[in-house]
Amino acid sequence: MGRTLTFEIFRYTPLDPSSTPHMQTFTLEEHPSMTLFIALNMIRETQDASLQFDFCCRAGICGSCGMVINGRPGLACHTQTADLPDHITLHPLPVFKLLGDLSVDTGTWFRNVGKKIESWIHTNQAFDPNAQEERMDNELATKIFELDRCIECGCCVAACGTARMREDFLGATAINRLARFYIDPRDKRTPADFYDVIGDDRGVFGCMGLLACDSVCPKKLPLHDQLGIMRRMVSLESVRGIVPEFIRKKLQGCGCGHKA
Amino acid sequence: MTPRSPELIRQRLDFWQALSGACLALFVCIHLLLEGSVVLSPSLTDGIGWLLEATYAAQLGAPCILLLIIFHFWIAARKMPFRAGELEIFVDHARALKDPDTWLWLVQVATAIIILAGAFFHVYTVMTDLPIEVAKSSQRLHQGWLFFHIFFLPSVIAHTGIGIYRIAVKYGFCVKARRDVWRRRLWIGMGCYLLLGVLALSRVWCQG
Repeated sequence: MGRTLTFEIFRYTPLDPSSTPHMQTFTLEEHPSMTLFIALNMIRETQDASLQFDFCCRAGICGSCGMVINGRPGLACHTQTADLPDHITLHPLPVFKLLGDLSVDTGTWFRNVGKKIESWIHTNQAFDPNAQEERMDNELATKIFELDRCIECGCCVAACGTARMREDFLGATAINRLARFYIDPRDKRTPADFYDVIGDDRGVFGCMGLLACDSVCPKKLPLHDQLGIMRRMVSLESVRGIVPEFIRKKLQGCGCGHKA
Repeated sequence: MTPRSPELIRQRLDFWQALSGACLALFVCIHLLLEGSVVLSPSLTDGIGWLLEATYAAQLGAPCILLLIIFHFWIAARKMPFRAGELEIFVDHARALKDPDTWLWLVQVATAIIILAGAFFHVYTVMTDLPIEVAKSSQRLHQGWLFFHIFFLPSVIAHTGIGIYRIAVKYGFCVKARRDVWRRRLWIGMGCYLLLGVLALSRVWCQG
């Protein structure tokens, strides 16, 4: 027989005028290998059918079930109840628009930052549907893939102190996304174009280096490493002509395959 | 590509913040080592003080350091949670998240304010009472400045150590894979400096 788990869950539906924000308590018997995703489904099926939360893949791929679990953002499907205490508190991810209970709209937020950083390949090359796709060497393809592994769950944004305080902050995930285009040879933007997009307090300079984005990322992406590299490159670009060139070049070298 | 106005000045602010911070960190490390020489011998410290005054390094350096502290604070303050509600949001966030690096930033903010005020009093008191001598320092400690140093010394060491770590992290020198090693070394370094500072204070106190 497993433990009896107590779930304290945030309840509120903004579109329902009769709804008021409050915490509701549920109890459930723990089963072996139970994840939060399973627990929430059991609560919905057996105790309260009106409980709202998002899910899709159940395997940490779709990024839908992000929520704040005992104060830390994480994926419900990735979190084993065995790793949590008896008392589990669940809140929706902050920063994003609340749809109801634990369900938030991450899509609009990600679409907006995607537009801000112009998250698509920029090229003037005419598309020839009959031509073979351009070859790319394996090493570079792997680097691009690594930067593209983000599932846009929003956990890093919810864990970011800067994003909590400043609505216009792009977040580490957007910088990581931009870095993917930065190293892609098909994208014809110049380094200056990229620096223009992220080189202010909404971008790399807004980040206060709190590192929570790294700690909570369910895909273990080194988000802050990428942000740090981009910050260094934009900073050193901004002092071109002020700082001696040999020092600038020495500091700029990042060994990450970025355009110099 | 949509044309955007360049924000070079704002970009440079971050660079100057890091550079001024690194210079101040270097100064603190050297300053504490020189102060710590009192543990070996008070006459050695008096000799160092005499040399710094004879070469005008103290008279010229002290106001420059104060200006650099003000400059560094002025740039870094743009990130501080001064706006209404920001501090409350941040503290609530840090409490819920229980992430050490998020707390470290709050420690940086608090120690920055202590240092800004404390550095002025520290420099003013020492520079208006030249020459720099251990006997005079000891007298000041017995007049009540010991309590000032009990707060000021750990604040300076913590701000410097955490600052070095955060510059390295923010600029991608301290990567995720090496972060634990950086942290361990910095805690050891801060511990050594704190021990040296406590020994130096005790030695100066005993001179009185």
